[in-house]
Amino acid sequence: MPYRLFLLKKRICKALNKGPPIYSTMRFTFLFKIASLTLWRSWRASVVLLFMVISAVAALVFLSALAVGTNDAMIRNSTGLFSGQIAGTGIQELETHRLQIPGVKQVLIRRQLEILLGNGESLESLVLMGVDPAQEKAATAYWQKTVAGTYPATGEETIFISQDTAKRLKLAIGDTVNLLNLKGFPLKKLAVAGIFKTGISHLDQGLAFCPTQALPTGETALSVAVFLQADTPVESIVTQYRQILPLASVSAWTDFMPDLKQLIDLDSVCMAIVITLVFAIVSVGISCTFLIFTLKNLREHGIMKAMGLLPGDTALLLVTQIGLLTVFAAAIGTLAGFLTVAIFSRTGIDISAFTSHNQYFSVSGILYPRLTGLALLTPPLVAILFGMAATIWPTIYIIRKNPADILRSV
Amino acid sequence: MITLQSVSKLYVSGRGHIQALSEISFTAEEGQGIILVGRSGSGKTTLLNCIGTLEIPDSGAIFYNGTDICRLSLRRRTLFRRREMGFVFQAANLLPWLTVAENLQFPLELNGIRGKAQRGRIEELLGTFGLAGYEKALPVELSGGESQRIAFARAIAHAPAILLADEPTASLDTSTGKQLVELMITLCRTKGTTLFIATHDLELLAMADRVVTLKDGKMEQRT
Repeated sequence: MPYRLFLLKKRICKALNKGPPIYSTMRFTFLFKIASLTLWRSWRASVVLLFMVISAVAALVFLSALAVGTNDAMIRNSTGLFSGQIAGTGIQELETHRLQIPGVKQVLIRRQLEILLGNGESLESLVLMGVDPAQEKAATAYWQKTVAGTYPATGEETIFISQDTAKRLKLAIGDTVNLLNLKGFPLKKLAVAGIFKTGISHLDQGLAFCPTQALPTGETALSVAVFLQADTPVESIVTQYRQILPLASVSAWTDFMPDLKQLIDLDSVCMAIVITLVFAIVSVGISCTFLIFTLKNLREHGIMKAMGLLPGDTALLLVTQIGLLTVFAAAIGTLAGFLTVAIFSRTGIDISAFTSHNQYFSVSGILYPRLTGLALLTPPLVAILFGMAATIWPTIYIIRKNPADILRSV
Repeated sequence: MITLQSVSKLYVSGRGHIQALSEISFTAEEGQGIILVGRSGSGKTTLLNCIGTLEIPDSGAIFYNGTDICRLSLRRRTLFRRREMGFVFQAANLLPWLTVAENLQFPLELNGIRGKAQRGRIEELLGTFGLAGYEKALPVELSGGESQRIAFARAIAHAPAILLADEPTASLDTSTGKQLVELMITLCRTKGTTLFIATHDLELLAMADRVVTLKDGKMEQRT
C-alpha cells in the first residue's frame, strides 16, 4: 500500500470516528525472514538444536535401515537354506517350466519319497529328497552345512544325511546304507557321501538328500522351491502362480514360516516404538532448548507484541522458527543417515559371533542395512511432527504473557 | 484527542497492594508534547502502559477518538496499538537480529505498507534522522544515540496518532538526550502526533507543552 494512501485511510477512519482502523495481515514472507534471521543470528542456540535433531534423525534412519537389513537377513537365511521364498506342491513335472516368470531367480524341482533307512538292526524313517545337486548348490546354502564328507554330485549313487541320523544309525562317510520302503522291503543301497548339521531341528530330523537319479523307483511326490530375485515382492509372484496353475498348492514363506513372519512384524512394532520414544525424548529436549532460546529473546517478543504482533502471528513466527530448524535438521540428518547406510550396505555388519546358534541366521551372520521408503522417511517426518509439537509450550508461554509484564521483567 | 478519566491501577504482589495509579484524569490534544515526571515507582511507566493499552486500568476509562480503548477486546487492542501507537523504550530495544532497515520495516509491514512505498519511507526516515547509509547495520554496531534515533524512527514509521516514550534519554548523555527529545517534540508537533514522555530529567520539562507530575500514583500537578 502506498504510504500516502495509508495516511489517507487513517485520516478517513479518524474522521468517520471508526475506532481502531482496518486490519492488515502480516506477510508470511516477512515473518519467515524474521524467523530465519533470528535463527541465523542466534547461531549458537540454533546449532545446539540442529545437532540434537540431526543426530536423532541420522541415528534413526540408520537404525530403521538396520532393522530392515536384519529382517532381510533373517528371511534370506531362513529361505535361502532350503525352502526358497515360495513352496509349491501338486505340480506336474511338465508344468514346472511355467514357474519361470520375471522376478524368479531359480526354480528347484525336488522329488520326495518316504523311506526307511537301515544300518544293521537300526532303522530310521525319513523323507528322502531327490535333488539336482548342481542347481541346489547354486541356489541354496544347505551344502554349506556339511560337517563331514561332501555334498553328493550329479550321477553319484550317494546320500547326504544329517548328523543326528548318522549318530543313530552309526554311519560314517563311505558307509553303505540300506533304503527300504515303509513295509520294510529293501529298495537299494547308497553310500554316505556327506553329513550335515543345520542346527534347525525340523531340517536335522527326518530329512536326507540324494541326486534325483539315485532315488529308488517308486511313487515320488514332486515339490518345487522358488527363489526370487532381490526386491521382488513374494505376494505378487504367488498371485501369478495361482493364476497360472490353479490346481497347484502354492504358498509364500510368510505362510509356511509363520514364526519368522511374526518375528519380523514384532521387529517392526519395536522399531516404531523406538522411533516414537526417541523422538518423544528429543522433542522434550527441543521444547526445553527452544523455550530457553525463546526466553533469551523474551524482551524482543515483548517489543513485537507491544508493536501490535497478534497472538496468531507470534505463534506462526515461533512455529516457522522451529519448523525451519527441524526441516533443515531432518534433511541433513536424513542425508547423514543415508550416507551411513550406503557405507554399511556395501561392507555389511558382521554379527556372526552373536548368531551362531540362532536358526534365523543359520547361513550368514552379516547384516546389510537397507533403506526402504518408510525407513528413510519415517524418522524425518516424525522429527518434524515432534518438532512442531515442541513449539506448543513456548508458544503458549509467549502468547499468554502480557507485553507490559515482559518489558517490566526483563 | 486522548482523554483519561479517573484511571486507577492496583498491583497485588508478595509485598502487598501497591496503588500504581490513582484517579488520573487529563486530556491530551493532538500534536501536544506531554512530559510525565516523578520519582521511580511514581507510576509513570504504568500510566504509559495504560495509555498504550499494554495494561488495562482497574477502573476509569481512556478515550481515544470517542472510543474507550480499555474496553476493546485483546485482538482489537493489539490492532489499535499496531496502527495508532508508537513506542520508544528505555534502552532502544531494537530487534537485535534485524538490521536498521529491517527494524524500520517491521511496523510498516504490520501496517501493510510494502514494496516501493516501504522502501521510500525507510529512506525518508533514515534521511530525517541523519542515519542514511546505516540500512544494513545491526543494532550492536550502533552507538546509544544512534540506536535511540532508530528506535524513534521505528516508532513514528507508520505515522501513529500517539507516541509513548519511556525514559528515552536514560541511556544517553545529557546533550544527546536533549537533542533527541527536541527532535521528537518537533516532529510530533509537525505530524500532529500526541507525544507522552516519561522521564526523570527535569531539564527536559521546558520543552514540553504540558508537564504531568506523578507522586505515588497520584497526579500532583499539571502545567
